[in-house]
Amino acid sequence: MAFTEEPGKPRNFQERIGILQDRIYDRVFHNYIWQSIFRSGYPNTPRNQMLVVATNVFLHLHPTRLHRTHVKITHTYCLGGLTFFMFLVLTVTGVLLMFYYVPDVNRAYQDIAALETNVKFGLLMRNLHRWTAHAMVILVFLHMMRVFYTGAYKPPREFNWVVGVILLVLTLVLSFTGYLLPWDQLALWAVTVGHGIAGSAPYFGDETQLIVFGGYEIGPNALIRFYTLHVIALPLLAAIFMAVHFWRIRRDGGMARPL
Amino acid sequence: MAIEAPPVPGRAPGAARPRPKREREEEVLVWPDLVFVEFISAVLFTITFVILSVLINAPLLNRANTDVTPNPSKAPWYFLNLQELLLHMDKAWAGVLLPTIALGFFAAIPYLDRSREAQGIWFGTKYSVRITIITVVYATLVCGILVAFDAGDRTKFEYATRWIPSCDNTAQHVGFPCLRDEPGAKHLGIVTTKDFSKRLQFSIPWPDALGTDDGHLDWPRDLDRIPVPFNNVDCCYGSLHLWKGMNLNIPDIMANQVIPLSTIAFFTVLIIYVLFRLGWVRTRRDVFITMFTGVLTAYLVLSLVGSFFRGQGQALIWPWEIKVDPG
Repeated sequence: MAFTEEPGKPRNFQERIGILQDRIYDRVFHNYIWQSIFRSGYPNTPRNQMLVVATNVFLHLHPTRLHRTHVKITHTYCLGGLTFFMFLVLTVTGVLLMFYYVPDVNRAYQDIAALETNVKFGLLMRNLHRWTAHAMVILVFLHMMRVFYTGAYKPPREFNWVVGVILLVLTLVLSFTGYLLPWDQLALWAVTVGHGIAGSAPYFGDETQLIVFGGYEIGPNALIRFYTLHVIALPLLAAIFMAVHFWRIRRDGGMARPL
Repeated sequence: MAIEAPPVPGRAPGAARPRPKREREEEVLVWPDLVFVEFISAVLFTITFVILSVLINAPLLNRANTDVTPNPSKAPWYFLNLQELLLHMDKAWAGVLLPTIALGFFAAIPYLDRSREAQGIWFGTKYSVRITIITVVYATLVCGILVAFDAGDRTKFEYATRWIPSCDNTAQHVGFPCLRDEPGAKHLGIVTTKDFSKRLQFSIPWPDALGTDDGHLDWPRDLDRIPVPFNNVDCCYGSLHLWKGMNLNIPDIMANQVIPLSTIAFFTVLIIYVLFRLGWVRTRRDVFITMFTGVLTAYLVLSLVGSFFRGQGQALIWPWEIKVDPG
């Protein structure tokens, strides 16, 4: 008699586990709630891999497919993406720091000092915020160099390069406005140098000082202005220009390719 | 009779021509090929910065005090290059106009270089690697030498102009240039560019009919208060006074604006011209590679000078000699 087996009946323990896994998988991923959140199936087939990129709001910054040379690390070194990632890290750590910081000249320094002693992970958050901010400035320069030396500013990407230059300025100003907030000697006198530079603008020097720094020397007005610029105005502006920047990459045909 | 196609050089007759790959075949899927790379780089950066933040604390000095000025006080490192420029030229040029021009130049690059060639690959033109390396070395040297020149008493660059006599030892208004020294101090050559307006003196014969009273036009005495046309003219609506109370200080303009700016322009044009004559700068793209590389190198070098070679009173010193006086 030929070897037969009852279908669907597990032969051993391993098969039992396998069936159990399939059931759990089915319960988790093929139910009404999960499928209401994620429209495409698990990205293990080319079709689902394209769908997941096209239908996910975060992933759809990407095209669904791109040329193989652009995936090589040495083509971009991920510099633009990492700059954006630094921005995200700065947003998260910055929001956490805002919980403990009041932009008042009588409190600001104590609040920062208290981060080191009274707040769990406060010092770590401040350090992360500081070092990733420096990294973002460096990365944005490196990204600009990458784009320049690969000739990626050429038509039709001229305007996106201009948006990039604006983002460079915004990054520098964001970093500079944040520099004052600890309200220590380093902050005050570094910003005083910047204050002097702004005041040397021909014809509009005094006005620039008054508008940007709120006075002819660094004081409470400068602190509250820099704080407001640093935590809401400039990040918002940068986010808008970033949205344009990323959108234009897609609209201009992806990354630059040799003709 | 069949007409045979001429044999393709370098290939055996009859061999199949390799089919050019279609665009689609050269493409990969973003998930997983790109998303994976992005994820890994984000994770690596996160780990690196968490470790860095555990090991190194962000600086926090004493509470801000407007009465206590640390010496030296420095801008954040990415603005230290501007602070460095402030030492060498008019502050409006150093702090506002030159950076604005540089950013305007950056923004204008794609509108001036409109060719579509050499894009999408690193260093697309034939000599661009060579141009870039040479420009980096050149800009570093030029910035270093200019900074050293402008600190002549420390770097001994003033020896080159020691031969100009001290004004105390010569009769005034002989016409030949002389350098005014501090009373009792040792005679020095030209120490900084600013000496052209502060210490250098000479005179040339000048007819009295053209504004002098002693037959000489003295530098800098006769040239430091030249009224601007329409100066103090009350006209029109009474608010249009851009020049009100303003006089031209020609020696000062020379020392703080004309000499520094023309030096920058000269060294920029020089390297482009030399590379052009060597046949390495061929396209407009090459010109912009030279200029972009030069600006970025100068930015970096001046930042480094400002960070590591400027001590108290912004004096040019070695990094290990820097002592910060907290005020």
